[in-house]
Amino acid sequence: MQEAHTKQHHLDVGVGDVGRYVLLPGDPGRSEIIAAYFDNPVLVAHKREYKTYTGTLLGEKVTVTSTGIGCPSTAIAVEELIAVGADTFIRVGTSGGMQPHCHTGDVAILTSAIRDEGTTLHYMPAEFPAVADLDVVLALRTGAQRAGVPAHEGVSQSKDSFYGEVEPHRMPVDGRLLQRWKAWVAGGAICSEMEASTIFVLSSIYRKRAGGVMLIHGEDMGDPELSDADRAAKEALFDVHRAIQTAVEALKVLITQDRVDGRIS
Amino acid sequence: MNEAMVHHLHLRRGDVGRYVLLPGDPGRCEMIASYFDDARLIASNREYTTYTGTLLGEPVSVTSTGIGCPSTAIAMEELIAVGADTFIRVGTSGGMQPEHDPGDLAIVTGAIRDEGTTLHYMPIEFPAVADIAVVAALRQAAQRVGATAHLGISQSKDSFYGQHQPERMPVAQHLIDRWKAWRMGGAICSEMEASAIFVLGSIYRKRTGGVMLIAANQERHEAVRTVVTDLHGVIATAVEALKILIVQDRTQGK
Repeated sequence: MQEAHTKQHHLDVGVGDVGRYVLLPGDPGRSEIIAAYFDNPVLVAHKREYKTYTGTLLGEKVTVTSTGIGCPSTAIAVEELIAVGADTFIRVGTSGGMQPHCHTGDVAILTSAIRDEGTTLHYMPAEFPAVADLDVVLALRTGAQRAGVPAHEGVSQSKDSFYGEVEPHRMPVDGRLLQRWKAWVAGGAICSEMEASTIFVLSSIYRKRAGGVMLIHGEDMGDPELSDADRAAKEALFDVHRAIQTAVEALKVLITQDRVDGRIS
Repeated sequence: MNEAMVHHLHLRRGDVGRYVLLPGDPGRCEMIASYFDDARLIASNREYTTYTGTLLGEPVSVTSTGIGCPSTAIAMEELIAVGADTFIRVGTSGGMQPEHDPGDLAIVTGAIRDEGTTLHYMPIEFPAVADIAVVAALRQAAQRVGATAHLGISQSKDSFYGQHQPERMPVAQHLIDRWKAWRMGGAICSEMEASAIFVLGSIYRKRTGGVMLIAANQERHEAVRTVVTDLHGVIATAVEALKILIVQDRTQGK
């Protein structure tokens, strides 16, 4: 049993240190940037790649914890956050666009994820879908509208190898990587990132709510016809604050709904 | 080309609406069609029976898929070929969570790909996921109908008797271990077609969802096990969801 005063092994947080609502960036350097959107944020723990700030939104306690890159460290973060009372998770970060209509600066709202990784197989057979919570998805849709950011809803690829995605040709298993990428695109996957599937599968197992919003670095950046000025304009849109604003607005939507539904006293 | 009749469903373009309900049992199509206005039998070949009528003046269809993902994939392929783009699976299922009562509805948000068919389309890691607009319409529809509904994941399996009598199968332990994992993952119902409908919907960029009557629940204590066979609530919910989608599509100019 978890004693109230004990700290979690990796995250170094205890019961009371975090809110029910948690934003999950990958990069610990982004935790402070995200915490600046909260009221009265306080750094509550920083150990390894896990950096946690807690503040409030609409008077409700909210938290940001970085997961580090990849599903192994993310699974630890979700396990330990649940152990200290968190129940609603929104992944927020950057991703590579996978469809021509997903432009640089748009956001991807994840409905589910391709389990192209090894971690969730330690929890569930591969046939089980990594799926986001409907209410979190709908809140992110409203959040993107309020933030004024174009949004696409769909499936993400949660992969274990960054360079296997961006430089598949130099990998010993290049044929397999390219064939699978083609299948994901044909299936309609909208973005590629490295953590969502684990957040979704663990949330199903532990009956928690999860979703994700990813800023897109689109295929449009690779257009050889692109002028320097257009390229600079697109790079300016690749601003993580667009995803953060969407996620923060979504948390406000959920907090308000939870109060109406009597889920917050 | 438009006059060509598809191979198994015996349909041509113009025979079906954009909106299609998908029961498994061909014997249920007539009952479901009775919820439409001006329904008429369009085709019946093998396990595929199709009726088309209207809802709110919009053409809508019901086509049976037969049991299992192999025949369901054929139904999806051929319905898309003749112009359908919105699919709601409707039928019966077994409950998987002890707190769910027979007679409750399961609104399917995603499906466990516990079958062989979708591997002919996509590697196993790809999720079988319903469309958000269809799921939200089904949730609203269940409220309007007054049905108790749960949102969650279904198990789409290939073997009916492997679920109901796993102990007599040569791979008994495998079946039992996996059933336990699906239950721990929060799966709410077990049926045999949703994953194929969802994966093909993703590939062809069509909208899909599903609503299942929890007809029985083998996870309930023996004393509180009952079987519910009244399909009115699940059909009424699917039909109401189609009306919600039709109104939304008109508002959005789709």
